[in-house]
Amino acid sequence: MTIVVAFADTAPGHAAVTAALAAPGEPGEPVVLVPAVRGEPVPDSAELEARWPGLAGRVQVERGDLGDPSDAVVQVAQRRGARLLVLGLRHRSPVGKMVFGSTAQRILLDATCPVLAVKPPPDERD
Amino acid sequence: MTDAAFSALASLADPSLLVMLAVGVVAGLVIGLIPGLGGTGAVAILLPVTFGMEPEQALAMLIGALAVVHTSDTVAAVLLGAPGSASASVTMLDGYSMARQGQAKRALSLAFLSSMAGGLIGAVGLTVAIPLARPLVLSFGSPELFMLTILGVSLAAVLSRGNVVKGLTAGFLGLLLGLVGTSPTTAEERFSFGSLFLSDGVSLVAVALGIFGLAEIASRVGQRRVTERPVELTGGWGSGIREWLTHWTQVVRGALIGIWAGVLPGVGATAGTWLAYGQAVATAKDKRKFGKGDPRGIVGPESANNSVEAGDLIPTFLFGIPGGVPSAMLLGMLLTYGIQPGPAIVTEHLDLMYLIIWAFAIASVVGAFLCFMATPSLAKLTKVPFAVLGPGLLVVMLLGAYQEGGQLGDLWVMVVLGVVGFFLKATGMPRAPFLIGFVLAIPMERYYYLTTSLYDGAGWMARPGVLVFAALLVGPLLWALVKKVRGAYGAVDDGHRSELEELPGEDLEGSMAGTRWSFTVALVAVLLFVGALWVSGSFSEEAQLMPRLVSFCGLVAAGTLLWQERRNARPRPPAAAEPEPLPSSGSTVVASRVDTAADPRVEARRRDLVIAGRTFAAMATFLVLVALGGYLAATLVFVPVFLLYAARARPRTAVVYTLVLGLVLLSLPSLLPVDLPMGWLQ
Repeated sequence: MTIVVAFADTAPGHAAVTAALAAPGEPGEPVVLVPAVRGEPVPDSAELEARWPGLAGRVQVERGDLGDPSDAVVQVAQRRGARLLVLGLRHRSPVGKMVFGSTAQRILLDATCPVLAVKPPPDERD
Repeated sequence: MTDAAFSALASLADPSLLVMLAVGVVAGLVIGLIPGLGGTGAVAILLPVTFGMEPEQALAMLIGALAVVHTSDTVAAVLLGAPGSASASVTMLDGYSMARQGQAKRALSLAFLSSMAGGLIGAVGLTVAIPLARPLVLSFGSPELFMLTILGVSLAAVLSRGNVVKGLTAGFLGLLLGLVGTSPTTAEERFSFGSLFLSDGVSLVAVALGIFGLAEIASRVGQRRVTERPVELTGGWGSGIREWLTHWTQVVRGALIGIWAGVLPGVGATAGTWLAYGQAVATAKDKRKFGKGDPRGIVGPESANNSVEAGDLIPTFLFGIPGGVPSAMLLGMLLTYGIQPGPAIVTEHLDLMYLIIWAFAIASVVGAFLCFMATPSLAKLTKVPFAVLGPGLLVVMLLGAYQEGGQLGDLWVMVVLGVVGFFLKATGMPRAPFLIGFVLAIPMERYYYLTTSLYDGAGWMARPGVLVFAALLVGPLLWALVKKVRGAYGAVDDGHRSELEELPGEDLEGSMAGTRWSFTVALVAVLLFVGALWVSGSFSEEAQLMPRLVSFCGLVAAGTLLWQERRNARPRPPAAAEPEPLPSSGSTVVASRVDTAADPRVEARRRDLVIAGRTFAAMATFLVLVALGGYLAATLVFVPVFLLYAARARPRTAVVYTLVLGLVLLSLPSLLPVDLPMGWLQ
C-alpha cells in the first residue's frame, strides 16, 4: 500500500509529511509526494530524506499529468491505489475561503480514499 | 425569423456560394494541418482572396475555413505529438498517448466527431443568440454602443492570459494605431506627419497580417524540424465512433464552454479548450487515465475549440465587438463591404446572418467527413518543416495586404508591425487586445461624439444600459485585482482552477518576459504615448479628445508596466548586463558576442532573435525586390534563395516549389480579382 502526500514547502506542507510518517502502517511503505503548488519546482528526494530521516528509502516524488494541483494529487492517489492521502491545512477565515478557494477542499471532495488533513503546530503557523 | 433562415438556406444552393464554401473548407482543413496558423491564419490568408467578391461569397469562404480549422489541427497533435495550433495542445495530452497505444484512429474519430458536434452546437448557439439579442441590440443607442466598444477593448485586455497591465498597454497601443489617419468628426489628419499615405489610416489587413502572420512566421522559421516519426494510423474508426456516442454529455458541455469563451473578447480557442479540459477532469470521478489516453480528455476540448469560433461571431455581428482575432478580421471585412455590424445587421442583413450560420453548420459536417476520408494522406503534410512553408506563406500574405489599398506602403507597414508583433509575442504581451483596440478605435470615437452631441452633459451616463455596462467593466477589473492578491499570498491554497499551464517547449511566447527586452518594449510604449500626447496637443479641440484620452491612459498603463519591469528585473551576471543596441527595424540583429557559458535559455533566446532578425531582413529585401522588379520577378528570386539558404531545402524542392508558386501567381489575376504589385522596371 502507499501513502500519498500533497506536498508544499510551507509549514502546513511539512506538517503533512510529518503526519504521514507518524501514520501507523507497515514499515517501509512507500510515501509518494505530489507537488501541490503550481509552478514550484519538484522537490529533490535526497534533500527530503535529509530533512525527514524517516523518509529514507521510501520516498518518491510524482507529478500527475494534470495542471491543476488538486486534480493532480487525486489522480496520483487513484493511480497508486493509495490507502491514505495526507494534506496540510492553512488557516482560513470564512471570507478568505470565499475569495481564495481552496486546493485542500477540492482534494477532500474529490479523493476516493481516506484523507488525513493536518494543521501545523501553533508556533509554526503563518 | 424562420423565413429568413430558410431563404438563406435556399440561397446556399447557388452554385457559386457552394463552390466558395467548398474552397473555404478545403483551405481551412489544409491550414489547420500546418502548425502555427490556426483560425487567425485561415482568415488572414483567405481574406485577401475575397476582395472583389460579393459579401455572400466572401463570407461563405471565410466561415467555411474558420469552421473547420480546428477539426484538422488535431491530426498533428495526435499523430506527431506536436500541436497544429495552440488550442490543439490540449488534445495532444490524451490524444497522443492514445495514439502511442496503437489507437490513433480511435483518438482521431473521437476528435473529428466532437469537432463536428462542437461546430453544430456553436451554430445553434449563434441562431439562438439572434432572437435573444435582437430586442436588446435594437434598444441600444450611441451611449450603449460607446460603452460596448470600451468594454470590448478592456475585456480583451483583462481576460487575456497573464499580466493585466500588459494587456491594457497592448490595447491602448492598438487604439492609438487605430487613430492614425483622418479624424471621423473634423476631417483633420492625425499622426500622419504630413504623409498622404498615412492620412488614409493603416490598413486592417496589414495590421492583422503583420502582428499575427509575419510575427508567427518569424518565430517559427527557426523551429527545429519534427524528428519523430508519426505514429501509425492503427485501430478502428468504428470503435471510436461508438465510444463517442457514450460521451455526448461531455460534448455538449465542452461546446457550451466554448461558446461562452468565444463570446468573451480576448478569450480565444486556447483558453476555451483548457477550460473544457479542466471541466472534464473536475467532473470526472475516476481521474486515473487523464493524460494517459482518456477519451473524455479529447471529446470536451475538441468540441470546445470549434464552438469557440461560433461563439466569437456572436458579439462580432450583434454588437460590432470582435470576440477574438479571426472575428476582428471578419469585422474589418464587413466594414469594407459597407455592412455595419451591430443593430443594423439584425434589421437589414438578417439573411446574411443566417447564411453565416448555415455555412458554419454545413462546413462543420463536411469538414469532419473530409477528415475521416483524407487523414491518411493529409497526415504527411504535418511533417513539412515550417521553414519550407515560410516563403510561400510570406508571398501569399504580402500579396493579401496589397489587395486592400494597392499600395506598397502597406507592405512596409506590415513588415514593421511584424517586428512589433514578434517583440510583443516574445515579451508575453497579448496581441489580441492590440488588434481589437485597433479595430474599435474609430467606432469608439464615432459613438462618443454621437453621444456627447445627442445628450447634454453627463446625462447619458445614467441610462440603465450604460450603468450595466459600467458594472461589467468594473467586475473583471476587480476580479483581476483579486487574482493578483491571491497570486501574492495565496501560494499554497491557490484554489483558482485553471488548466492553463506552461508547456515546456520551444515556443517563443513570453520567453523574453522579465528580460531587458521586455523592459525595452515597456520603455518604447511609454515613449510612444508621451509622443502621442505631445503631438495631439496641436489638434483642434474636437479631434484631440480621443487621442489625448488614449495616450494619457496608455501612458498610465505603460508607466505601470515599466515600473513592474524595473522591479522584476532579475540581477544578472555582469557579462549579460552589458547594453546591447536595440535593432532599429529588426533587420540588423546580429549576435555580437557569443557567450559560451550562457545558460541554455539565454542561448535559445539569442538564437530566436538572430533567426527572427534574418527573417525580417529577408522580408525587407523581398519588398525592395518587389519595388524594383514587380511581384512575380521578386518571388522567383526570393523564394529559391530563401529555401536554399535559410530553410536548407534540397535544390529540387526549391526549384519545383518556386515554379509552382510562380505559376500560381501568374494565373491568380485571371482567376480572382487580385492585382500583383508592379515594379519600377516593369
